[in-house]
Amino acid sequence: MAAPDLRAELDSLLLQLLGDLEELEGKRAVLNTRVEEGWLSLAKARYAMGAKSVGPLQYASHMEPQVCLHTSEAQEGLQKFKVVRAGVHTPEEVGPGEAALRRRKGPAKTPEPQSSEAPQDPLNWFGILVPHSLRQAQASFRDGLQLAADIASLQNRIDWGRNQIRGLQKKLKQLEPGAA
Amino acid sequence: MAGRGKLIAGTVTGFLLGGIGELNKNRHPNFLVVEKDTIINEIEDTFRQFLHRDDIGIILINQHIAEMVRHALDAHQHSIPAVLEIPSKEHLYDATKDSILRRARGMFTAEDLC
Repeated sequence: MAAPDLRAELDSLLLQLLGDLEELEGKRAVLNTRVEEGWLSLAKARYAMGAKSVGPLQYASHMEPQVCLHTSEAQEGLQKFKVVRAGVHTPEEVGPGEAALRRRKGPAKTPEPQSSEAPQDPLNWFGILVPHSLRQAQASFRDGLQLAADIASLQNRIDWGRNQIRGLQKKLKQLEPGAA
Repeated sequence: MAGRGKLIAGTVTGFLLGGIGELNKNRHPNFLVVEKDTIINEIEDTFRQFLHRDDIGIILINQHIAEMVRHALDAHQHSIPAVLEIPSKEHLYDATKDSILRRARGMFTAEDLC
């Protein structure tokens, strides 16, 4: 590749990098705002329910994620992230005959129940009737999760762009060793 | 310092409310609440475990906790899992400390731009 073409590509990558950095700064500001809103809502919930009623003591002993991360490779080495709701497993269908057979065999070899239900909403850890502030906290942090995925994608793109630029700069130095 | 555990727990509680928590009898949890008596080695070991798990795509870490294990963050060069530094109540986010942004900023020196 000729030096002028390399320089043009380098300029393009640098502009892309600067754009990504600007976008990253914007998304970070929004994420920080969402997280702060979430903290405020959690504080309100603690005020309503009691200081020790919203914390690690209420975490469930069994947790299944409600959301998952979907990764895709846009270009070689460039990963993109997206938050998606975790799949809901269809319940295992057991006909009446099979159920009767299981009962006849007794409880000695009870099959381990499959995870066939939707993941439990973490709000349920804190009681049946939770204050609105706790739901608001959940909404803020859920927004924060999607932003986190966007920011992680941008960070990967920035790292990728940085590596591409370094590679091009090396090639350019080999082609034009005496250039200032 | 005594309240530090509560401040971190708030962030962890918040994101767990968002639905990302995983914990069952067969697997290790995918989160760590850093208490006032949590030692740095435990934070570092947990961070490295998360880096090597194949079911974790993004690691969220309070920035002042990230400062304690900055060497481990700086050594992580892979795109997955991505590491995202987030603020905590008493420590606002500081872009000058972020590993990713420090690497990007290091490109714009006089030598690199020639």
